[in-house]
Parts: sequence; C-alpha cells; structure tokens
Amino acid sequence: MARGWLRRLAVLAAIGSIGCGAAPGEVPFPSGPIQIVSWATAGGPSDLLARALADAAPDYFDGRRVTVLTRQGGAGAAGMQYLKGQAGNPHVLGVFTASGTVNMATGRIPFVPEDFTPILRIQVDPFLIAVRADSPFRTLNDLFGAARARPGEVSIAGFGAASAHFMGFQRLRAAAGDPDVRWIAYEGSGDSAVAALGGHTDATHNNYNVIREHLRAGTMRVLAVALPLTALRGVPTYQEAGYDLAPVHWRGVVGPPGLSPEVRADLRERLLATIRTAGFQEYMARANMEYAVMDGPDAFGDWIAEEVETSRTLLERLGLFMNEAR
Amino acid sequence: MTGFLDGLLTALQPQNLAVLLGGSLLGVFAGAVPGLSSTVGLALVLPVTFALDPVPALLMMISIYMAAEYGGSITAIAIGVPGSSPALATTFDGYAMTRRGEAGRAFGISLFASMSGGILGTLLLVAALDPLSRAALAFGPPEYFGLGVFGLAIVANLVGNDPLKGILSALLGLVAFVVGLDVLTGAPRLTLGTTVLMDGLGLVPMLIGFFAIAEALNAVAGRRKPVEAVTGMGGALPPLGDLLRLWRPIFRGSAIGGIIGAIPGAGATIASIVAWNEERRLSRTPERFGAGEPAGIAAPEAANNACVGAAMIPLLALGVPGSASTAVLLGGLTVQGVAPGPLLMTEQAPLVYALYAGFIVAVVFMLAAGRLGIPLWVRVVSLRPQILMPLVVAISLIGAFVLRGNLADAWFALFFGLVGFVMLRRGYPLAPAVLGLILGPMVETNYRRALALSSGSHTVFLESPISLVLIGLAVISFAAPALRSRLRLGRGGA
Repeated sequence: MARGWLRRLAVLAAIGSIGCGAAPGEVPFPSGPIQIVSWATAGGPSDLLARALADAAPDYFDGRRVTVLTRQGGAGAAGMQYLKGQAGNPHVLGVFTASGTVNMATGRIPFVPEDFTPILRIQVDPFLIAVRADSPFRTLNDLFGAARARPGEVSIAGFGAASAHFMGFQRLRAAAGDPDVRWIAYEGSGDSAVAALGGHTDATHNNYNVIREHLRAGTMRVLAVALPLTALRGVPTYQEAGYDLAPVHWRGVVGPPGLSPEVRADLRERLLATIRTAGFQEYMARANMEYAVMDGPDAFGDWIAEEVETSRTLLERLGLFMNEAR
Repeated sequence: MTGFLDGLLTALQPQNLAVLLGGSLLGVFAGAVPGLSSTVGLALVLPVTFALDPVPALLMMISIYMAAEYGGSITAIAIGVPGSSPALATTFDGYAMTRRGEAGRAFGISLFASMSGGILGTLLLVAALDPLSRAALAFGPPEYFGLGVFGLAIVANLVGNDPLKGILSALLGLVAFVVGLDVLTGAPRLTLGTTVLMDGLGLVPMLIGFFAIAEALNAVAGRRKPVEAVTGMGGALPPLGDLLRLWRPIFRGSAIGGIIGAIPGAGATIASIVAWNEERRLSRTPERFGAGEPAGIAAPEAANNACVGAAMIPLLALGVPGSASTAVLLGGLTVQGVAPGPLLMTEQAPLVYALYAGFIVAVVFMLAAGRLGIPLWVRVVSLRPQILMPLVVAISLIGAFVLRGNLADAWFALFFGLVGFVMLRRGYPLAPAVLGLILGPMVETNYRRALALSSGSHTVFLESPISLVLIGLAVISFAAPALRSRLRLGRGGA
C-alpha cells in the first residue's frame, strides 16, 4: 500500500517536472488511509494518545481512514525503523515521546532526531515527587536534606533506568547539588507508586494521572511538581521549591524523514484541528493530560534536539552509557 | 446485597448480555490460539470499547479476560501446546490424559475447574478487596524474591528422570531471560549489539517454539506418540466420581490463584504452576502427576481463573495494574473516564457491582461456550499429527506476530522450536526452561532491588517473615523429591 503510494508520487512528480503546471510535491494529500505507528505498550499513555488521535483525525484528513499500527520491540526501535523507512510519505505518522529522546541519547537505539520530521508536540505530563501520607517528608528539601544527612539511605522509586523518569529525577537531583538519593527502578509507573505506598521506598517519582486517586483519597501527598497543575493547586513547583527547572514527560507526533516544509505545515494544521475537537479534548481531560502544543514551524524540532542534548550531557555527567552514547 | 442485585440487573440488560457473550466467545478463542492470550484479546478490542459506555466496555473486557484463561487449557489438553502461558501446567496432565484417550474427560474437568475457579476468585474479590490489597502492598523486593525462589524450586518436580537435564533446562531459561534491557540499569545485556533483542526473547515465542514447533518437528519426524482413540465426551459436569475427588484440588487451586493473583506482577502462570506443584506435593501418589492425573488439571485451571478476579484487586483498590492484561484494562477504563483507586467503591459502586455480577455471568457464558466446543476439540484431537501440527505452527506464528506487530517474534519462535526439538530428542524436559524465563526476572530484579534498599545487607531476606517462609518452603520443596526417594530406598533396603 505504502509502496503504491510512493510509485504514484514518483509518477506525479515526473508529470509535474515535465511541466504541466503543477509544482513537484503538489500531490493531493491524503491519497489513502493514514497510519499512526504506536511502539508503546497497549493501553499505556502513548498508545492511548495514538488511539485518541486516530479517533478524532478522519474529519480533518478528508474522511480517510486513520488506523493505529502496533509495532513494538527494541525499546521502540521496531516502530521507529518502520516510520523511518516511509521517507517522504506523509500518510504514516508516529507518536514520539520523551522516552524516544532518552533512548537516542543513551545510544540504545540507532536513531537521531533527523531521522524523523517533527510535526506537533501535543501534551506534557509533568513529573512530580510523591510520598505516602504518613511520610516524615513535607517538602522536597526535607527529602534532599535527609539524603544529605544519611547518604544512600533515602530511596525513590521510579519507572525504568536511564529512562525519561530517571532523567527527570537526575536533573532535579543535580540542581539540588547531588544529594545521595537512591533511584530504585521499577517496571512501570504504577509499580513505582505501589513501592512508595507499601513503604518499600521513601518516595516515588511519578505523574499526576497515576497517583491521582491516591491524592484524592489522602493516601499520598505530592512534595513538588515540575509544572503548576490546576489539580495540584497549593503544591509547590520545582521552581517554587528553589530549583529552576521543569522536567516533563511529553508526547507529540512526528512523520517520516523527508517531508517538505509545505507538507509539514499541512499536517500540522490538520493535527491542530484534530486535537481541538470535543472528542479529543474529552480524552485529554479523562487521561489527566495537559495541552502543551508546540506548533511553530521549528519549535517541536528544536525541543527534541534540546531534550536529546540535555539527556546526553546528564549521562556524561553521571558516567552512564559512555561507550554507547556516541 | 442490594448493590449486587442491582449489578446483576445491569449485567443482565440485553446490551450488556450481548457484550458479555461476545467477550466470552472471543476470550475462549484468544486463549485457545497459541500466541494469542487474554492480553492480546484485550488489546485487540480496546479500540472497540472506546465506542461503548463504561459499563459495557468494562464487561466486554472482563469477559474476554476470564474466558481466555479457560481457553488456554483447550489447546493444552488437545495437543499439549499451552494456548496461553497460564495453561502451561495444564499440559503436564491434560495432554497425558489425551494420549490415554481420555481427552473428553480432561476437557470436562478443565471446564468445571475453570468455572469454579472463576467464581471463587470473584467471591474473593468481593469479600477480601481491602485486606488483600493491603497484603499486596506488603509485597516488597524481599517478598517478591522469596516468591520467585519458591517458584523456581518447583523445577525439582518438573525434571523427570534425570535431574541434571532438568536443571540445565532451567538454566537455559534463566540465560534467555537475561537477554534485553536490564530493568535496574537500563543497559542492554546479551543483545549482540542489535535492537531486535532489546526487549528480550519473550515468553510467547518460547512457548510457541517449545510446544508447537518442536512438537511439530517431532510429528514430522514420526516421533510424536500417537493419541489413543477418544472415549467419552465429558459432559457439562464431570462425572460424580471426578467431582468428589476433585473438589479439594479445585478449592486449593482457587485459593492459591486468589492469593498469588492479587500480588501485582506475580500472575496466573506462576499461580497455576504453584497450584499444580502443591497438589503433587500433597498427593499420596505424586508419581501420577505428569502422567495424566485429573487433579493435575483441576488445580492449575482453577488457579488461573481464580487469578482473574484476584488480579482486579490491586487494579480496583490501588489503581495499579498487576498484570499485562489488567494494564490494558486500565487503559480502557482511563478512556472511559473511570479511575480505579481507593475511592472507586464509594464513588462508582454501581459500576463495581456490575463488574462483580459481570464476572459471574461471564463464567456462565464461558461454561456454555466451553461445553458446546468440547465435541469440536475432541475431533481436533483425533486429527493426524502430521496434518494437525503444521497447522498449529502456522496459526501460532501468526499469533506470535500479532502480539507486538513484530516479525522478530516469529523468528524467535522458530529459534526456540529448533532448540526445543533438539532438547526433546535428547530427553531434556522443556517446562523448567519456561519456568526459568518467567521467574528469572522476578528473582534477579528483586534480589538486586532489595540489596539496593538495604545497602547491600543480605539479612533483609530473613527479616521479612513472608520472604523467610517462602524461602523455607522453597528449600523443602527442592529437597523433598530427593529426600523422599532416599527414604523409600532406605525402607526398601530394610
């Protein structure tokens, strides 16, 4: 199907270049169904974003079918490889997240930001640090202070190692002067919340949507959150706690490499309309996600490059992945 | 009680009945097809649930989940290939009964045990949501380590005649699990510098390779033992004699499934193997286990279905998915705007009651679907292996692909198929390797996590009573077969 499209593109480009008026690249779009590649766990936040987009998008893609293509494996590499292989084809898009940039920085996956065409950042999911309700820690400085007083004895549970969560916390820790808080990696955000709830670790590095019900029930407290959230009014931000940074998990849409600025702009417009629909807004509210749209022509691309660079600097500082990080 | 009646009335509304029926049928199918599982079934219907209201969406998902845990036993009994990993233990005795010509009876036992386990697990969910969710919270790294070691000790009962070969097989599984990104450091291990191996070799490819492909190669080589002609169909209920003998294994299996299922990350596969092993340990004739003992079907099948209700405990009470299947379920609930957690019962009681009732109705549909299917499965059993097995391989490979949309999984399955074929010919048991692959991560990750939290002190494993008891049981379980045979030898000599 994709190959058929490419052939058609080639034919049309050839006709265009013969000089029958249409500039090359001015191919009617969309000329077929749209695929959104999802390389994340089924039912997880990134997968849900892909599905919510697929649900709302057809109206803005001339009624074409929009489907989610699951391609898991290789820490996202399988899906990214597929997307990268669709060079020049605007019918295949992918949900790209903070994890992708971290994996690029570690060198675990053989991709660079230039392998994809950034189109639109859609949402952020600010990191936060939470404790069980009966924890002695009331503030971020309590946590870090205890770690300074008893190095290595204060632990924080978080999703993954050398992951987006890990990087988010290490950035905060660096800003606090590297107190010795032990990062205990878990297989998922839920698991890391349970570790703190069960008293196995002193705190959890998490996202609002994962622990929301425990906050409402009063079984957990948030010490600080990276960005102000309306739902967390009264909780200090990292900045208010004295650390001038705001690490977030974020998700957006990228295309394959080799899309012209016109095609990018076109895709961006269609996706902007998609995420403004009532249905998509409902999904955002239910999933407790914050809109953080980056729709300038280069804004999202600059953001991705910056995130890779931040992670790379941090990894070098921590002495992690020095061999692979090249 | 009125809450439950309201829930039942909700579940019995025509639309909800329809989704429960559809979910049950799809679940039996997803469970029975090797490669597919409750998780894949749920992921496949996830987009469909978006279009439904919260209650039918939830009912569709839980009925798939419940029925798939039963469905796995169909292929396990019919051809010795676990339809999904929780049916692994069912292959030991289920397929042995089939070879004896008792497939019909085995299907009946499995169906009845699955139904009982499903209902008992649901009752446990209703009765013990709070205490069991607190128990789940008590499970930290040392406790998971203990559970993993306890599970690994079961290998001692799976090794067959040659303990060394069994232990080598388990080691193969332990090496296979290491492949991929290390959870604790994020570093790739044994990935040979490729991304293909980064997420590991996977349980599903191993199950398909070992049980479908290796057995197919065996069949083609003319080495697969022929199946006796099937006698008797097995009714909706097993004969009274079986019932009288099996109610204890069913209860014990359900209890084991109910407890292990409620612990996030432990899961139905571990629960069903533990249930099988406990039955064998308690039995006066342990040598019959693995050779077609009915209790060896009843206990694990009760356990894996009891796990379904139990797996809802951490999800509903803590808002945390305890298994891959409940993780997909949580995704579906999120889209519906339903947030499980400590407040769910007070704020969304009607939904929770509908879920409880939905489980019971789903079990009834599962029973009906299973009962109607038995004559069909029995016919499949009598197909010639040279025809049946290649068909199974083809379907399995497609199943392996569907899971992640990744062709690599099919290659992994072929790889394990060749390895498994060689192992079979040389007399190595395959189940220990699967156990190693499942339990290796639990043991290793939690061992290192516990030491990271205790600043390297090993006493942490002995300070936790749960971990202490589990490690003690592991030692007993590991040493028991050897001790027993020594005892018997001693007696024989006297």
